[in-house]
Amino acid sequence: MDKQTIDTLVGVLDKRMNRQMKEYLDICARCAICKDSCHQYVATGEMKYLPAYRAELIRKIYRKYFTGAGEFVPSLYEARDPDDRLMDELYDSTYACTGCRRCMFVCPFSIDNAWILAAAKGILIAAGKGNEILGQLADAALFKGDNMEMFRDIIVSGFADVERELQQETGRDIKIPVDVQGADILYVALAGAHSIKPAAVIFDAAGANWTLSLFESANYGFFFGDPAKAKLIADRFMNEAKRLGVKEVVITECGHAYRVAEMFYEAWAKEKMPFKVRHILEVIDEYIADGRIKVDPKAIKERVTYHDPCQIGRNGGIYEQPRNIVSAIAPDFVDMTPNREAQWCCGGGGGIVAMEEFKDVRLASGGKKVEQIRATGAKILACPCENCRLQITELNELHDLGLKIVPVMELVVEAMETAKA
Amino acid sequence: MDLFSYLTSGLGVYVALVVFTLGMAWRAYQWSTTPRSPVRLGMFPKPKTGIGRLGKLMKDTFIAPQSARIEPRMWAMAMLFHVAALAAFVGHLRLVHEFTPLVNALGIEGMNAFAGIAGGLAGIVMLVAVLYWLGRRTYGPYKNLSVPEDYFLLILLLLVVVMGDHLRFVGGLHAPTYIAWFQSLLHFSPAFPAELAASGERWALDFHMLFVDLLLIYFPFSKLTHAIGAFATNLVRSGE
Repeated sequence: MDKQTIDTLVGVLDKRMNRQMKEYLDICARCAICKDSCHQYVATGEMKYLPAYRAELIRKIYRKYFTGAGEFVPSLYEARDPDDRLMDELYDSTYACTGCRRCMFVCPFSIDNAWILAAAKGILIAAGKGNEILGQLADAALFKGDNMEMFRDIIVSGFADVERELQQETGRDIKIPVDVQGADILYVALAGAHSIKPAAVIFDAAGANWTLSLFESANYGFFFGDPAKAKLIADRFMNEAKRLGVKEVVITECGHAYRVAEMFYEAWAKEKMPFKVRHILEVIDEYIADGRIKVDPKAIKERVTYHDPCQIGRNGGIYEQPRNIVSAIAPDFVDMTPNREAQWCCGGGGGIVAMEEFKDVRLASGGKKVEQIRATGAKILACPCENCRLQITELNELHDLGLKIVPVMELVVEAMETAKA
Repeated sequence: MDLFSYLTSGLGVYVALVVFTLGMAWRAYQWSTTPRSPVRLGMFPKPKTGIGRLGKLMKDTFIAPQSARIEPRMWAMAMLFHVAALAAFVGHLRLVHEFTPLVNALGIEGMNAFAGIAGGLAGIVMLVAVLYWLGRRTYGPYKNLSVPEDYFLLILLLLVVVMGDHLRFVGGLHAPTYIAWFQSLLHFSPAFPAELAASGERWALDFHMLFVDLLLIYFPFSKLTHAIGAFATNLVRSGE
């Protein structure tokens, strides 16, 4: 690798440097307590998936260029220049990481290896080694945002199709409102009707003043590791929310989209948003508690368990609302062990489901989740994250779990129907 | 004092303390002047009050219950080592000032016996913990993850502890002799009392101090800065 390239990569690391990252890079004791927290390392035993080792790849560059001791005695720290071999290893370690931050949870110093790997993605992108698929998906989302006039009619006509389907399925005239100025809620769904229909039924029953975003919540810029692109992708619905003057943006059952909108966006945009951000399950929990929607407490007869997606659980703080909801409609609700902040990642986060090259490690890394689900004896898994659902659906087939995997909203709609019957 | 003693147990102590103090201050300054991450890096659940955050910070830093659950043996060794190191540090404060209330309560013989048992226990615990860590770094993922710094620090710690244990268990000298030497350091005129200068234990003390000096000098440039950094990073965990 030539000096100019090395300087560029070091410059990227410098730009991404902040107090927390510096502390994380300085104090890791390499005790490896984190190794048994990582679903990928536990499944494969490969060093490149050991959390501290992943971060250590960046630490080697950091030591050489950002610390006097590393520059003076590089061999003591194995401080070194980046080269093609290191970059290849970094690529595997970084893009395979699902960003679940279970390693941070067990670390005695709370070192956020995923935060270090966020900088690693910046370095990989600068070296022309960013993941192509994630980059293309991010660019496609940006293209849609930049050329909305091309897509608007198609999208709105698609919503009209969803309204017709809802009419047939429920017998009711449920509207999918778009561009409602002054609505209370801007609901940001995923691409496809599956995250729109149940929300529409619930909002309609609750009498909510809502409007549907023209943009999907998924953010491949975030997975790709480019905060500038991630911000632009989130800008699409955040600007829509500002334009419509809504009181809150409600993110659908999607893990990373919630974290981007609630935890990251204001920092990226450098402004306080004039609305709050909530996850749809927070809203539904409130509707049930306030009696705005009626649900049959015995609607779901079979045993149900709940998966805590890392981005809304450990990294988003939504633990109790989904449990309140599921408990309100399924008498036989059984939690997995461990759960909440100690929950195992299913292996499908961080955009890994879109990257075919990591399929083997992805499926192998779901082993802990499979064990957890089996131990509950549940027949239904309530799962409020699209990537988790995709992953667990594959695990379900692979391990013959006989599981029905559904968004929480779908169970709620079922319980609303039986409440009426 | 001969030259070696002067370099290790005299001048070396001052140099080590100055480098350690300035180095740690510089490290803290570097951290505090680097801009914070603009995005929220905390982890849930988070305490809602400042007192709650402080309590969680203390629990995460001094007990690390989540580490205990995932690797109990490593956690136990780390806890034992740190408690023993703290006990040893407190015991060494006797060099600065005699623990008069304890001496009054126990008598000088009783005090020496208590110091012998407590210090000896701390020395053995630290020895076992350091040997465990060294052994752990000789195989599998622990070896693959290790860099020379890890072995360098552990060997340095081992040498400090071994020489300290030697002074405790083998040397026939008692606290007043070492107190006299340390008081000379505090008065900036380092000298060994006659009993120590004439004893073979002088060499043990010189080597103990050589390794202590090196450890203190290297400390600010090493991962041992987790001694202060862990408070900051554990605070991020439960912060906004």
